[in-house]
Amino acid sequence: MAEESKESRSQARLAAAAERKALAEAAAKKARRSRMLVSLAVVAPILLVVIVGVSISLVKTKVDSTVTAPSIASKADGYGLVFNASAKPQIDVWEDFQCPACKNFEDANGATVHTLATTGKARVVFHSLSFLGAESVILANAGACAADEGKFLQFHDYLYKNQKPENSAYWGLNRVTAAGVAAGLPKKSFTECVKSGKFAKWVENIAADGAKANINQTPTVLINGKEIDRNSGAYIDSSLFNKALADAGVK
Amino acid sequence: MAKSAPLYTSVAVNFRARTFSGTDVIALLARLVLGGALLLAGGLKALHPYQAAAAVRAYEILPISLANPLGYALPWVEIGVGLILVLGLFIRIGALLGALMMLIFIIGVGSAWARGLSIDCGCFGGGGAVDPSKTAYASEIVRDAIFFACGAFLLWRPGTRWSMDAMGSGRITSDLYEDELDVEEMEG
Repeated sequence: MAEESKESRSQARLAAAAERKALAEAAAKKARRSRMLVSLAVVAPILLVVIVGVSISLVKTKVDSTVTAPSIASKADGYGLVFNASAKPQIDVWEDFQCPACKNFEDANGATVHTLATTGKARVVFHSLSFLGAESVILANAGACAADEGKFLQFHDYLYKNQKPENSAYWGLNRVTAAGVAAGLPKKSFTECVKSGKFAKWVENIAADGAKANINQTPTVLINGKEIDRNSGAYIDSSLFNKALADAGVK
Repeated sequence: MAKSAPLYTSVAVNFRARTFSGTDVIALLARLVLGGALLLAGGLKALHPYQAAAAVRAYEILPISLANPLGYALPWVEIGVGLILVLGLFIRIGALLGALMMLIFIIGVGSAWARGLSIDCGCFGGGGAVDPSKTAYASEIVRDAIFFACGAFLLWRPGTRWSMDAMGSGRITSDLYEDELDVEEMEG
């Protein structure tokens, strides 16, 4: 009797143990399934962010042919601002009003380029890039506003003379409009144009075109489509720059 | 007595589940370092697509028509992979993608170095041509190699602890199976 009862007790214990193990395994299986579901539920929005981000980036960076552009912008020139459309040779200036190296180029050669643009001795195309930051976008838009008032060069020169450290939060809308007025722009219409970001999409077009044209830094200056050798010193040495211009046929 | 061992095993599992090993700690660090780096790199570039594209073009490896879309898309992919690594979701997949990206970056930087270009890797924003005295190829490669090692370690030992992969109802997770195996091995 005692033997039997001991055996059956041990059997019962084994059965209970087996049952508990089965239950634990079933629970674990269920837990794994719910864990997978939760994981997928968390991964799905991450994947969505990636897909939406990539899509927006790809769409946003397309050149948009329907944008509002300043009147002297030329679609064939990647929406750059063109002076002396029929003159030769062609000088392309890719710049960013915030970039210190652009100021160096401007200090050495800005007056020469300005003269070429005003005397008609070359076809000068300005491309305002803006990838240094939000203030570059504000300034590029303002440059287009100035162009539409016929005072791009004046505003351009003023900005370089008064350049501030990159993204130092100096170029807010009010300071930009004040700079425009100082450069001789009409306060009311210029202010409106700057504050509404009238040419913001055009600024994007310039950036998108710069990407296609393989412009990797500012300033990049091309004479007849050929980039001036960055190691030649012509960017900061006016005699070398003038020689490059003379070689291209500028008198 | 020996036959009732499974009962005690499950107790042991619960106890063991609360402990962690050195591998778990390394895996967590690897996830945070690689995932955090990717998240930071992507986050700094995602809103500056033109600069990111210029950085890719500056390597002069891909044709412009491919370099630009890659520059526009890459930051978002980095953010995605960074997020799943930091959260610890599908760790092996994230580790594989992260390690592959780092391998490609190392090859890209090494190639730029070998060809004598003077560029910034553009890893965390910026990028493009720099003064030859300002190139930092060796340190960029070492840094990416550390990130690559994190990914490789996670491929080998994903160490699901402190991750969403370990999440479930209470302690009954895959750890239980692993730990049961451990116990069996110990008993054997």
